[in-house]
Amino acid sequence: MIKLKKLLCISLTCVVLTGLIGCGKSETVTKSTDINIKFFSNLPDRATGQGKLEQTLIDSYIKDNPNVKVTVEALQDAPYKQKFTTYAASNGIPDLFMVWGQPSFLAPIMKNGYVAELNANDFKDYGFLNGSLDGFSTNGKLYGLPRNTDFMVLYYNKALFEKYGVKLPTTYEDIVEAAKTFRKNDISPIAINGKDKYTMSLMYQDLLLKESGDQKLMPAALKDTTKFTTDPLFAKAAEDVKALTDVKGFQDSFVTADYGAANNLFAQGKAAMYYMGSWEVGMDLNKDFSDEFKKNVDVIKFPAPSTGKGKDTDLVAWNGGGYAVSANSKVKDESIKLLKYMMKPENWAKLGWQSGAVVPAQKYDQYLTGKESNLQKKLTEILSTSTSISGVAWDDALTPDFKTNSENLSQEFFAGFKTPKQFLEEAAKAAENAAENVNK
Amino acid sequence: MQKSNLLHQVQCRSQIFCIRFNAEVKSFCIRFIGKGDFMHALFKDKKTIFLLVFPGLLVFLYAVFLPIVLSGYFGMTEWSGIGKPVFIGLENFKNLIFNDSTFITSLRNSLVLGLALICIQHPLCLGAAIMIDKIGGKLEKVFRAIFFIPCVISVIVTSKMWVQIYDSQYGLLNKILDMFHLGFLKQEWLANPKLVLGSLFVIIMWQGFGWGMLIYYAGIKGISEDVYEAAQIDGAGAAQVFKSITFPLLKPVIKINITLAMISAFKQMEVIYLTTNGGPGNASQFIANYLYIKAFNSYQYGYGNAISILFVIVCIFVTIILNKIIKKDVIEY
Repeated sequence: MIKLKKLLCISLTCVVLTGLIGCGKSETVTKSTDINIKFFSNLPDRATGQGKLEQTLIDSYIKDNPNVKVTVEALQDAPYKQKFTTYAASNGIPDLFMVWGQPSFLAPIMKNGYVAELNANDFKDYGFLNGSLDGFSTNGKLYGLPRNTDFMVLYYNKALFEKYGVKLPTTYEDIVEAAKTFRKNDISPIAINGKDKYTMSLMYQDLLLKESGDQKLMPAALKDTTKFTTDPLFAKAAEDVKALTDVKGFQDSFVTADYGAANNLFAQGKAAMYYMGSWEVGMDLNKDFSDEFKKNVDVIKFPAPSTGKGKDTDLVAWNGGGYAVSANSKVKDESIKLLKYMMKPENWAKLGWQSGAVVPAQKYDQYLTGKESNLQKKLTEILSTSTSISGVAWDDALTPDFKTNSENLSQEFFAGFKTPKQFLEEAAKAAENAAENVNK
Repeated sequence: MQKSNLLHQVQCRSQIFCIRFNAEVKSFCIRFIGKGDFMHALFKDKKTIFLLVFPGLLVFLYAVFLPIVLSGYFGMTEWSGIGKPVFIGLENFKNLIFNDSTFITSLRNSLVLGLALICIQHPLCLGAAIMIDKIGGKLEKVFRAIFFIPCVISVIVTSKMWVQIYDSQYGLLNKILDMFHLGFLKQEWLANPKLVLGSLFVIIMWQGFGWGMLIYYAGIKGISEDVYEAAQIDGAGAAQVFKSITFPLLKPVIKINITLAMISAFKQMEVIYLTTNGGPGNASQFIANYLYIKAFNSYQYGYGNAISILFVIVCIFVTIILNKIIKKDVIEY
């Protein structure tokens, strides 16, 4: 009987032990002479577009430096941000990582000393556009490099405009008129990714800019939040939005459409226009889209209202994505070397532009080949003829929580759940709360 | 996203396993040892009790209790996940209860979902379980499998499928309404704040239907045939059989199912995240999803932790109330 008792005890212990052993982690052994750089990216698609560009540059760097090993971990934006904070909390930030050069993402990271300072002089000859490094710097110190220039434009489908005899919009009112005609013909006027929310915040800023012609108005309002409710230009821009949503200017159920759905609607020729950023530059080269669509897709600047003080050459533009190096990295110098190599004008800017994957944050006119696609040419023209640039968009200008709240508000406003007045009042309140937190 | 579903499966499986294991041990002891004395002595020995309980207790402390305590601490801090947490006492909880309308909306939505599951889904589950039991033969197996299919498919797949069905332009639902000349009934199913909850409830009920049904079905199979035969001989009708036999004998199962339904309503995250993400605005916001948004989009980990603590408290509270309502009147026969 005692034997059996022992047996029971032993077998139970075994069960527990095997369970615990299962929790162990296997570790790969690397040679000490090897330099292993952990690279954290938000581009999981390594076969096309920017992801391919990133991978190509990493591969060619490894080829030149056989002692270097680069381990890439790539996740989509949302999980990327989530895992990044986990890494930050556990002090295990990868050596070289993607960052968004916006206070809503980068400010707390810079403030808490997680990123290594870069020597600004090293990048003098890299041809970064004026102001493009601002979002990646604090107190005059540089902490990261931008990889592309983003700006909001209006894509449209030539064939649909011709078919229904709609004239190409030159003013904002034209868009509202066009929307009415397209609605009558069962075509969605403008495709927008309302579930992702940020595009609507951007569109509001775009309209405010075009009503006021003043790039400093929005940043000023974020500091002095009474402007939201007292400055008539804010109300006017909000009324412009309402004019468009009143005629159902966006596709049905646009608040449930994510990026893929909006993009698809436009590419299927079911929507006449598409409000999106310059990162869609590769649309007329995309193998997945029909030839007919690719022939008909074109782009214009987002037009200004006829009474507006702004011009359509005033752009909502910023330098979003980029890279930074971890301050606590064991291979900091090597990581900076790799970053320098990747961002060399003849690497990122040239290869990126010529493959149609990006509009670089660096000067790229020396790399124009003359064989650019229509969208590439037009977007270059829009950027090079722009009269002013906004920098960081308003939803990204304060805290992460302000981003959530302001974008949520924009969605509710565009969807018609909030009146222009409510929208502005609540936006002012959200900005006020956020400003308090920033000062803390 | 899959986690809570998986957890649920694991819980169910481990419960079933425990029951089976207990029975096995008992029968083993009875068959080979023949005497109850040994087991009695064994289980009375404190060392054995300790050995048997300790591993489980350890896992519980480490995986359940410790995180809750940590969560409680972080809930009293202001922390962005980056840098050091700042202790601010009960500020977060105060804000949550008195100033955060979104939290109240999501709490209300979760409660409504729980009630909807109990009042709509579960009667249907029970009905389906009884019908499947009555059909018998090969068809019984076929229907059982069909009803259970949605539970086997990944939540991501089914959620995305429903998003497609509800799509107001290409969606199957609106197309079908058109086909039957019911175009006036067409809706923006997930974009209309008045309809979005209903539309989501349909998805959630459809997905959870198989589990509820399976547990009822198992309960029904557990009721001895003899009782039914006796009732038949006494000349009881179908309604009377249900009222006087099936329902009372199923009470323990119903109790479990209702508690599970309420908990799953509070834990509901994956379907919401994958379909509307709480939108439009916050019309379809649920506690678990709101917690996620606060912690991972707004980087307010302190606040997110405070939500999770309130979430635990509400769950415990609701479970207690439910247990009070459904008294423990298990019938022995």
